[in-house]
Amino acid sequence: MEKTEIILQTDGSFVERLVSERVLDAGQSVLDTLTENLARQVRNVFHIPGWGAVHASVGQNDTLWSVPIDRIPLHARFRLINQVMVPMFASGTDIEMPLVWKVPAGVKVVFAVLTKQEDDIVSVEGNWLFACDADKRGYRLPLPNLHDECLICTGAFDGDQETAFDCVKASLEQFGKSKWNADLMRTSEQSKQFFRFMPTKDSFETLPIQGEWTALCNKISTALWERVVT
Amino acid sequence: MKTITVKYGVDQITKQVEDNFTFGDLQGSDTFKAGLGFGDNTKALVDGIEQNRDTVIPANATVRIETAANTKA
Repeated sequence: MEKTEIILQTDGSFVERLVSERVLDAGQSVLDTLTENLARQVRNVFHIPGWGAVHASVGQNDTLWSVPIDRIPLHARFRLINQVMVPMFASGTDIEMPLVWKVPAGVKVVFAVLTKQEDDIVSVEGNWLFACDADKRGYRLPLPNLHDECLICTGAFDGDQETAFDCVKASLEQFGKSKWNADLMRTSEQSKQFFRFMPTKDSFETLPIQGEWTALCNKISTALWERVVT
Repeated sequence: MKTITVKYGVDQITKQVEDNFTFGDLQGSDTFKAGLGFGDNTKALVDGIEQNRDTVIPANATVRIETAANTKA
């Protein structure tokens, strides 16, 4: 298709411009070449029973799986302070309990699994735990066993699986049964304000976070976080 | 003086700094830390390439700060 444009220039003269346009047949190979360094996001790739939908960020050499989670299993030591049960990660004497912290409204928590495929094996390259706000600012939760970039120190488990589904499932199973200890612990005060439980007749109810939750976390920004699908 | 733009996650600040302001100065700057919320363990990147702390930041550069990986204490 060809069109003619008449341009009135600032000096009062007219210029004729002939514009030729055609629709390019950009095939898949062209798109692949142009986007080879970009990770592609795919939502709801599969579903892990008990956890929910899993989204993918597919890179050239790896895939980052994001699982928005509604709870954090906290198998740790706890102490009752002023009728509120709070974690005592560094304690060797307080009672050890498998409490489950329910993620409150306004906070998003995403469990992420990086996998790589080689031959017939899919391997877990790491597990991360991120919190984020409504504007997708990333945060490190006030938990021990988390590196600065939110990589979880999970303890050993079999990360070599037949499928990516099995990798994510095995990672979540390890996350669910791991004990939280004092490794990589920072100040425990933020943890006590963040993870609070009220003993009820036969269980423990998650209490609201004491104060502004983002102020109790460390803001983070990493290339991997940018790939997380929330 | 020169102008630089610093990004940390979804947030960014454009600010005038001294001509000899380095990437290390930026990473240690309380002003940028408070404004953008980054901590002590960071790396500075320009166009995806990690920069040396001693290098002077070019005028009008856009610097991306990222949380650096750490090792188990």
